Amino acid sequence: MTLAIDGKEVTVPAGTLIIRAAEQLGIEIPRFCDHPLLRPAGACRQCYVRIEGQPKLATSCTVPVAAGMSVQTQASDDEVADAQRANLEFLLLNHPLDCPICDRGGECPLQDQALAYGPGDSRFREAKRVFKKPIPLSPLVALDRERCVLCARCTRFCDEISGDRFLELYARGAGERVAIAAGEDFRSPFSGNTVQICPVGALTSVPYRFAARPFDLTYGDSVCPHCSAGCNLRVDLRRGDVVRHLARDEYEVNDAWLCDKGRYAFRFPDSSERVTTPLIRDHGLEPASFGEVLTSIAGWVDRGRVGVLTGGRLMDEDYYALSKLARTVFRTNDLDHRRDHGAGFVEGAIAGGGMPVTYRNVEEAKVILVAGLDAEQEVPILHLRLRKAAERGARIVVLHPRRTRLWDVAEHIPCRPGDEAWLLEKEEGRHRPEIESVATAMREAGDAGIVIAGPRLADHPQAVDRARTFASDAGGRFAYVTRRANDRGALVAGVHPWLLPNGRSSIDEDRAEVESVWGPLDIPDRGRDWRGILEAAANREIDVLFLIGVDPLRDYPDAALARRALENVPRKVVQSLELASLARYADAFLPAAAFLEKEGHVTTWEGRGQRLQRVRDPLGMSRPDWEIFASLALACGGDLGFETLDELHEEMGTLLAPRATRHLAVADTGAAPTPVEDGELLLFTYPLLVNDGRLSEGADELKAALADPPFVEIHPNNAGTAGVADGSDVRVTTAAGEATLPARVTEHVSEGSLFVPFDQAGFAANTLLQGRFSIAATIDPVDAPADEDPVEVGAGGAA
Amino acid sequence: MTDEQRRERNFLADTGAVLKGMATVFKQTFRPDDTEEYPKVIAEIPERAHTGRHRLNRHDNGLEKCIGCELCAFACPADAIWVEGEDNDPEHPTSPGERYAKDYQINYLRCIMCGLCVEACPTRALTLTSYFEMAYTSREDAILTKEQLLEPPPELGTTPGAKEGL
Ligand code: SF4
Ligand code: SF4
Ligand code: SF4
Ligand code: SF4
Ligand code: FES
Repeated sequence: MTLAIDGKEVTVPAGTLIIRAAEQLGIEIPRFCDHPLLRPAGACRQCYVRIEGQPKLATSCTVPVAAGMSVQTQASDDEVADAQRANLEFLLLNHPLDCPICDRGGECPLQDQALAYGPGDSRFREAKRVFKKPIPLSPLVALDRERCVLCARCTRFCDEISGDRFLELYARGAGERVAIAAGEDFRSPFSGNTVQICPVGALTSVPYRFAARPFDLTYGDSVCPHCSAGCNLRVDLRRGDVVRHLARDEYEVNDAWLCDKGRYAFRFPDSSERVTTPLIRDHGLEPASFGEVLTSIAGWVDRGRVGVLTGGRLMDEDYYALSKLARTVFRTNDLDHRRDHGAGFVEGAIAGGGMPVTYRNVEEAKVILVAGLDAEQEVPILHLRLRKAAERGARIVVLHPRRTRLWDVAEHIPCRPGDEAWLLEKEEGRHRPEIESVATAMREAGDAGIVIAGPRLADHPQAVDRARTFASDAGGRFAYVTRRANDRGALVAGVHPWLLPNGRSSIDEDRAEVESVWGPLDIPDRGRDWRGILEAAANREIDVLFLIGVDPLRDYPDAALARRALENVPRKVVQSLELASLARYADAFLPAAAFLEKEGHVTTWEGRGQRLQRVRDPLGMSRPDWEIFASLALACGGDLGFETLDELHEEMGTLLAPRATRHLAVADTGAAPTPVEDGELLLFTYPLLVNDGRLSEGADELKAALADPPFVEIHPNNAGTAGVADGSDVRVTTAAGEATLPARVTEHVSEGSLFVPFDQAGFAANTLLQGRFSIAATIDPVDAPADEDPVEVGAGGAA
Repeated sequence: MTDEQRRERNFLADTGAVLKGMATVFKQTFRPDDTEEYPKVIAEIPERAHTGRHRLNRHDNGLEKCIGCELCAFACPADAIWVEGEDNDPEHPTSPGERYAKDYQINYLRCIMCGLCVEACPTRALTLTSYFEMAYTSREDAILTKEQLLEPPPELGTTPGAKEGL
């Protein structure tokens, strides 16, 4: 459709709004309420244009283009310019003009546009409307109603994007204001987005309140370190300290949004716990030079058997270097980044399988089966995409033991934890009518049908594979979504006991391909997985245990085993930002740089590699992990073969280039579901978004706003049988330990199961576990005096 | 003209020039003295000569006028000012309104006394005085803190450096 704006012709698809068409021509029309991701509202009246042939001016953000339309903006029509000027004077009538104390001052669309298009003076001499200055909407967001221009961006975000409908425009006329129900808290994990899109300083972030001015900031582009959604963000520093994270627009990934964890959990790189010097155990842990520490470690490695454990939060480059270090220098396959079964035997195919599902695919899908993923809590931006898909008419079905926040837009099939594998299985489960109906819909949708398998399935060795087969049987797409920011990168790099880079196995031609780059490998076909490594450490079958960005006491679903491993293995090398609970155990510490101090890439759940900029120099003596690995290789008499990032990238390019994947036929190992006896319930656990994790250190406002205290969720039927009332204390006992937790009796958890969050402050759920994220448990009511501390940690003992 | 005659004429001209120069010296030597006797005597400074140390002012009720807005810091071409804002305690406010300056420093090794900060200040919290005795023996001393800036500058000639100059 072709139209002319200010005499310039432009061709755009039908349905495009005039304001968008003008953007394509580079013509700026002032606006406040318009936002490309929100539905048109026409609330602020700032974007007036003249449409030839129409008697009145029109708002360009609400009128779609028509063929042959001729539009005049303020640049070519004085009446339009006058109308815009008058409107700005009107918007400023009741505006307090307290820019000097407003956090938005200096980066405020109202300031900028008043300067560019406004009258410069006001004829309004009367007293302005006064409201109580900032009222807290939550511990994260403050509202100053005097500054609000009633654009309805914040309320539309809540209605259309997050679905957490807390904010509403209330009353009319001069008294109209943004309001929240009395006594309510803006308890949405996406609340910070309203602050970023508010075109004035009416909504401000409490953690950034008065912290800096735009001209104080230095900043750089980075990627959120908190989950595998891979949101693009900007890190703002004042004098080297992080003061703010802002979302960057990236329509292929996070649109323009961040979740509140990504936005507000930014203080950990500056935490007082951070250690930035290498340490070596002499009498205590003593500071030393890198050279000394690496030489000592080389000595231990030379004489001993080595195991390597890591988490999922390093960069692709780090993982590649680690994978090569373990194989070529330590000559071991005993390395792992997982803490569950992962995707089982389809992991190789996933690692080498590129990007079968993207955010865009999700958005455009017709049918989506989400199995074993609580998207809002685990990968929040994927949750927003799922909602967007639902908004566009997709049918979403969630197979999960607990009701998730998709409840208002999706069908839920509740199941007991571990039953997902059975329900998706060909012979039996799939004949259940609700599953059957999904399968049929998927077949009809073809490749607009998507199966998303989440971390809950990884608790069962075959569940992910079955979900994958379910998708391929129906001709749909399949994605395996893990939680941590770079789990995928670790898998692709081969930080895995039997997978080499890019999903290659350690045998035959796969191994030969790797050897052609790395040189001959002297390693067994399969190494120990994380559990095997911990057990071997506990049995003293390993002499040196490397803990790279991982804290076994907190991260693995078996606190007792982790403790035994740490107590028995002779040498522990910790490489991380801090020591925390490992201070007692570490024999050597290597200080790693934080995400904003490194340059490199991380891989989203989709498989998309995204670049991180170095926003500031590493603190103290800390260094990027891959550099430490390269130095360690040299100290051990080996050589990783790269000294610069460019050399590293070149080598990665050869091994990680796209390739045809072979689906390894592996016999179904037939692992049994978690055994549950009569009278027992099945306890399952996963981390909630805002937890006690190390990356949330210092994010006090975030925790005050969104963190739940520890609890146990019980289905009413089970609670009735056990005589447990909602809110009362209940003792949960498993083979590993016991804990007393306040009960939440709710139908949102499937009957026969118990849910506890994995690591809320004061309760480490892994003290109840024995190697899996589910376990048989019993519950008894406790008659605790009301004033007693609600949480006691039982036999296992929290870390 | 012979060489002899030429030499004689030059001698006379040169002697004349020397005497003229000497006369100027004698005249100046016995003329009354115009030099300021600083620091022995401190001359009166014109009333509106705002070209010296800054001062942070207070309202009549004792509240600080500064609201910690950092506009002075933004305006400063020499990057001499450091301000950190903070929420006022509603019970015991430091300044009127929501925000006050938790920290305020001016570095006189950088300041060029241009006064742009004073022009930028929306509350007249910041003004320049005519106090100019700002010689310091360490970097730290040259950075004045908020507490120092809130006080009026000392009398001229009373700072230790000024006395040592005697
Ligand atoms: S608070 Fe901000 S985003 Fe919300 S209506 Fe007011 S100006 Fe718009
Ligand atoms: S969704 Fe994930 S990646 Fe995005 S901001 Fe939140 S934690 Fe970070
Ligand atoms: S007088 Fe000029 S140089 Fe000195 S602090 Fe003010 S703006 Fe900066
Ligand atoms: S002195 Fe004035 S300009 Fe500087 S921070 Fe204070 S109020 Fe703002
Ligand atoms: S931007 Fe068009 S009415 Fe607000």
